[in-house]
Amino acid sequence: MDAYRAAPVAHGERAVRFTGNWREYLPIAATNALLIVCTLGVYRFWASARQRRYLWSRTEFIDDSLEWTGTGKEMFLGFLIVIAVLAPFFLFIQLLFPALVARGKIDAAGGIMFLFYIALIYLGGFARFRALRYRLSRTWWHGIRGGSDDPGWNYGGEYLGRIALSAMSLFIVYPWAATRLWNSRWKAMSFGPLQFRANLTAEGLKLRWALVYFVPIAAMALGALVLFSILGLSDRQLGSGPMAGLGIIFVALILLFYVAIPLMTLNWYAKYYREAAAATSLGELEFGFDATTMQWLGLFLGNLALAIVTFGFGLTYWGYRNWAFMVRHLHVYGTIDVSDLTQSTTHAPREAEGFADAFDIGAI
Amino acid sequence: MARLYDGVTAHPHNVQASARAGALELSQDDGWSDSIDAALLKRLDGGKRELRLGRTDRPGWRLVLPADAAAELQPLLGREARYGHWIDRVGLVPALIAGAAITASVLAIGYLAPHWLAPHVPMSWERNVGRAIVGDFGDLRCRDPKGQRALEALVDRVAPGSRGGPNGMKVAALDVSVFNAAALPGGYIVVFKPAITETDPEALAGVLAHEVAHVRRRHVTEALIRELGIGALIRLFAGNVGANAEQIVSLSYTRDNEAQADSDAIAMLKRAHISPAPTAELFKRLSTETPQFSAEFLQSHPLTSKRARKFTAAVDPHARYEPALGRADADALFDICTKT
Repeated sequence: MDAYRAAPVAHGERAVRFTGNWREYLPIAATNALLIVCTLGVYRFWASARQRRYLWSRTEFIDDSLEWTGTGKEMFLGFLIVIAVLAPFFLFIQLLFPALVARGKIDAAGGIMFLFYIALIYLGGFARFRALRYRLSRTWWHGIRGGSDDPGWNYGGEYLGRIALSAMSLFIVYPWAATRLWNSRWKAMSFGPLQFRANLTAEGLKLRWALVYFVPIAAMALGALVLFSILGLSDRQLGSGPMAGLGIIFVALILLFYVAIPLMTLNWYAKYYREAAAATSLGELEFGFDATTMQWLGLFLGNLALAIVTFGFGLTYWGYRNWAFMVRHLHVYGTIDVSDLTQSTTHAPREAEGFADAFDIGAI
Repeated sequence: MARLYDGVTAHPHNVQASARAGALELSQDDGWSDSIDAALLKRLDGGKRELRLGRTDRPGWRLVLPADAAAELQPLLGREARYGHWIDRVGLVPALIAGAAITASVLAIGYLAPHWLAPHVPMSWERNVGRAIVGDFGDLRCRDPKGQRALEALVDRVAPGSRGGPNGMKVAALDVSVFNAAALPGGYIVVFKPAITETDPEALAGVLAHEVAHVRRRHVTEALIRELGIGALIRLFAGNVGANAEQIVSLSYTRDNEAQADSDAIAMLKRAHISPAPTAELFKRLSTETPQFSAEFLQSHPLTSKRARKFTAAVDPHARYEPALGRADADALFDICTKT
């Protein structure tokens, strides 16, 4: 009786739907932009709370909309606390490093910098975990929220270890690191009494990751082949023509390289998110995500074009577009028993996303 | 008919809702009823189709009504939270005006305060900061004694007496292959190797005079206050808006001080009977040469043809200019970084 089917009820009907539209969002986008400018950026915490309140409330999950209860004030305070903790640390490094360099103690300066980056990576991982935990704790559905009882300190260590290992392998083993981190992060999260499960493996992702490595190199090699054939040509027929051609090919080679890398990375992430969603579940609910590389590319190019043709105002729609994109491609299958879905007993974190904010992590 | 979530389970309950005497009355067909004081109710964003209410005393308690129920319950609901409490209280337009005014004054103070404060910072403080940052430059410093004496002689030529006393300026050549010269906190003036080996002493005299002027005018202190004070503050809340605002302020600030330092340098060269023409030539050359060569110098000293022209215009055709350094000193200076 109380079991809700999340699987398509009628043909073509989806369990997760985005019901917002850009005209309805316009007053929020416009006033947010104005207030951010007029407060030297301080308003951005309240702006993102308003944006999320809108986006969550326009996201239908089975039979009811989501709700965002995070406030600008708590995000602002969280940010201040984190800055108060980090500022002395940064200031110390900022003064210590040039002081050591100026005294010719290059090794000591390098060592300090190394430790500094280690600490940054650790805090970066910690921040990602805390941001997810905070977002779940402020996300409500049917009067129930999510959360986690894990403070994330261990996750920071695991993150540091896995990133360090994959860096040592020149990131060849990155898919293994990324997938295990996804699992650790999500397994620590819950919604109501239900714990998330995640068993993402690198199995289906190896080829895409290999492409990130080889396609740019292959593209360069192919370009170089063309380059050399033209070089051979210019030996025989001396003139200014081939030289001009050389310049163009050189530029094209560089372009090829710098276009191939992000395209291949996108190609990897598209698959990564599809597999990650499919490997994650909550109670009887299974997830799916169906965005292809081309659709991701369309999202990014669309964002870029929007920002350009609106002279920057379109930036205020990036969060909206990204969220709508995620929701439109997200699928949920299975059933959920609302009588068993009791209130979360997890501790609701107080510090909002201070760390994630300080490290500039998180798209929405 | 309304949907009630009790915040304990996700199970929805169908209830009837009505307003009565400053309270929200809820009832069910089976006889259950409840009355909630209006003061406990808060209005949440339910979109166009729904009215969504929460309770301040019970997290997760939600009442979802059709949008048209809003009319009947209106007396209970109070004002909807929109922009955030602190802005809702005064209204959007007053908040925008107040915000713009505060922002403008913060920027104005950020622009002017370092200029006002700098002359009042005790030199001894600045010297300590400088010593902490600079130390003795370690292995980077070019320590050839003859070259060092020649470099000091050049500073004495353009700014007699500037190196004396406890707050005297200290000049050092650094073995760094970037064209640059800079004034640092505490009266330190550093010249990088290419600024010595790729110019003649007259042009270097112009560059040194410029840096001496920065120190004397307390521009360095000003920059330090700016960097540690308002710069840090603005960057804290940055976003792009803050960063852009800071850039605008610091650019115009730098240009002002640069122009003043140039004027001072020209006056110093004149007193020392050194021609400003080689300095003008140097600026002209730097602004046209390959970017790698002069990028660092350009960053801290925006070079425009205007600045070169200013030095060119200062050339007095009737003046009797003298070399900045004697032959032996010039040679020693050139070799300052080659001997150890």
